[in-house]
Amino acid sequence: MRQIQSKKRYILALLIGTFIFLNGFIITNTILSIQFNRVSQFQDQTSYAIFKDKLNYELFNADPCTTDNFNKISDDLSYQGASIGDLEEKLGKNNNKVKFRKEFYNLVELEHFEYINDINRLCGKNFTTLLFFYSNQRNDLDKSERLGRLLDFIRSKKDNLVIYSFDINLDSEITRNLIKLYNIEESPTIIINNDKRLSGDIELKDIEENLISLKKVIVKL
Amino acid sequence: MSFITYVIYFSIYVGLVGTTFYILTFIEDLKKEREFFTDDELPKVSVIIPAYNEEKTIELTLDSILKSDYPKNKLDILVIDDGSIDKTYEKALKYQKEGVRVFKQETNGGKGRALNSGIEKAKGDFVFTMDADTIVDKKSLKAMTRYFKNPKVMSVTPAMVTRETKTIIQRIQSVEYLTGLFLRKTFAALNAIHITPGAFSAYRKSFFEEHGGYDEGNLTEDLEVALRIQHHKYIIENAPEAPAYTIPPKDFMSLLKQRRRWYAGLMKNTWNYRKLFGKEYGDMGMFVLPMAWFGIFIAVFMIIYYAIKATNDLIKEVLFYKSINFDIFNQIEFNSYFFERIFFQITTITALWFVLIFLVMIFFYLRYATKKIGKTESLYINVPLFMVLFAVLFGIWWIVSIFYVALNREVTWK
Repeated sequence: MRQIQSKKRYILALLIGTFIFLNGFIITNTILSIQFNRVSQFQDQTSYAIFKDKLNYELFNADPCTTDNFNKISDDLSYQGASIGDLEEKLGKNNNKVKFRKEFYNLVELEHFEYINDINRLCGKNFTTLLFFYSNQRNDLDKSERLGRLLDFIRSKKDNLVIYSFDINLDSEITRNLIKLYNIEESPTIIINNDKRLSGDIELKDIEENLISLKKVIVKL
Repeated sequence: MSFITYVIYFSIYVGLVGTTFYILTFIEDLKKEREFFTDDELPKVSVIIPAYNEEKTIELTLDSILKSDYPKNKLDILVIDDGSIDKTYEKALKYQKEGVRVFKQETNGGKGRALNSGIEKAKGDFVFTMDADTIVDKKSLKAMTRYFKNPKVMSVTPAMVTRETKTIIQRIQSVEYLTGLFLRKTFAALNAIHITPGAFSAYRKSFFEEHGGYDEGNLTEDLEVALRIQHHKYIIENAPEAPAYTIPPKDFMSLLKQRRRWYAGLMKNTWNYRKLFGKEYGDMGMFVLPMAWFGIFIAVFMIIYYAIKATNDLIKEVLFYKSINFDIFNQIEFNSYFFERIFFQITTITALWFVLIFLVMIFFYLRYATKKIGKTESLYINVPLFMVLFAVLFGIWWIVSIFYVALNREVTWK
C-alpha cells in the first residue's frame, strides 16, 4: 500500500486555498461597499440639488425657468437607478441598506417628477415624463429588462425625455401608494406624461408613436 | 444564489485548494534527492520507432536521435515499418549505414503490435518508444535514462512540447503542452503520472518481460501501460530537462479525432484500472485522479450550461436589436458614468478575481516551462488564444468522447 506523502501538506493547502477563496469575497465586498457609499453620497447630492431648486422657487420665489441642469440631473438619476439595481443584484433584494437606498431613490425620483411637471407648466417647456413600473419577479423579469433597455435606447435619442423607474415589488409605502394612484395591474407598465398608458409586450414603435402624438398636441396648443 | 453559482464557486474552491497543493508539492520536491546514473553508468538503450506512412518526417526523427549525445556504442535504434504503402521503409533503410536497424511488417497491424515487435528485438535494457514525427533534443536520451538508476522506476516521461505550430489550433495546443510540463513534474513528485506520452517515453524493458507488452487492441496503448505500471505500484518519473517535440494536429477535425481517441481511451482504461482510485494508491488514488476527473466533469457540465445559456442570450440579443432596427450605437449611452459602471460591474464579479489568480498560475507554469526547455514559440500570440479558446475546445472534445463511449461507437486511429 502506498502512503500519502504528507498529511500536513493537504492541511496547509486547504488553509491557503480557503484563505485565497475568502479573500476573493473580501475584495468584492470591499468594492461593493465603496460603490454603495459612492452611490449614497451621490444620491444625497442629487436630492440636495433637486430640493434646493424646488424650495428656491416655492419658498423664495426664485425663477425656476433659469435653471438648465435637467439633463445632468436626469443622467445622474439614471446612473443611480442602474447602480442601485447592480447593488441589489450583488447584495440581494432583501439587503436592508440597499432597500433603503431604493426607497430613497424613488422618493427623489418623485420629487424630480413633480418639479419637472412644475417647470413644464410654469416655463412652457415640453419635458416628457415617463413612469416605468417594472418587476424583478421571475415571470416578468425578461419583459421588464427588455423594456428597460428599450427605454434607455429611446432616452439616448431624445433629450427632453425623463424616465422614472419603480419596482412594483418593492415593499414600501410610496410604491404601494403609486401602484394604487396609477392603478398598476401588470408589469411592465409605462405612463407617458401622466396620460398615455402602455402595458405588457411593448414595442419600440408603440412608445415612439405615443411620443410623437404628444409632440403634436404640444405644438397644437 | 442559484444552483449554478454554488457549482461554480465550489469548483473554484476545489481548484484553488488543488492548485495550492500542487505548488506546495512542487516546492517540497525541489529538496528531494534522487539517484541518477552517471555518464559512466549509462546503460544500453534501444529507441523503437514504429512508422506507418511517415515518409515526410521519418528522416527528421532519425536525424534527431542520431545527433543525441548518448554514447553511440550504447545506442540501439530500430525502425519498425508497420506496413507502410509510401516510401517510409526505403527512407529508413538509408540509415542502416548509421547503425539503424530497420524491420518491415507486411501488413499494418497497429502501433501496439509494432512496438511489441520492437521490444522483442531490442538489445538495450531500457527502451524508448518514439513516434516517427517526433524529434528530440540531443540531451534528452541521457537526461531521461539517468532516472532509471532507481530500480523502482519503470518509466520516464520527457518534457513533451510542440513544434511547427502555425495554425490557431496548433498554437492553442502548444500552450496546453507547455502548461502540462509543470503538472507532469508535480504528478511525478506525487508518483501519480498516469499517462506516458506515446510520442516519446522511456521504459525499463524488464517491465514488459514480466507484465506483458503493449495491449495491441487498445486505442491508447501508451496510457494503458502507464496505468499498468501504476497498478503494480512502480514509479513513473518525469524529466522536464528532456524536451521532445511533436507536431500537433493542424485543424479542428483532426484534433477532434485525436482527442476523441485519447479521451475515449482514457475513459475505458481508467474504468479497467478503477482500483487505482482509493487509499491503496496514496496521493494518486486519493487526490490526483479524483481531482482530474472532477475537473473533467465540471468542464463538461460548464460547457453544456454555458452553451445553452449563450445560445439563449444570443437569441434574446438578436431579437432585441432587431426591435431597435439594429441601431447599436444609440443603445449604448456613452456618458460619464458608462465606464464607471462597467468597471464596477466587472470588479464585483468574485469569480473573475479567481480567474485572475488562475491566469497568474498559468503564467507561472509557462515561466517554468520556458526555463526548462529554453526558447518557446510566439507566446504573446499563443497564450491569449489559449485563454480564450482552450476551455471551449476541451469541453467539446470531452462531450464528443463521452457521446462515442456512451453509444459504444467505434473510435479509430485516423
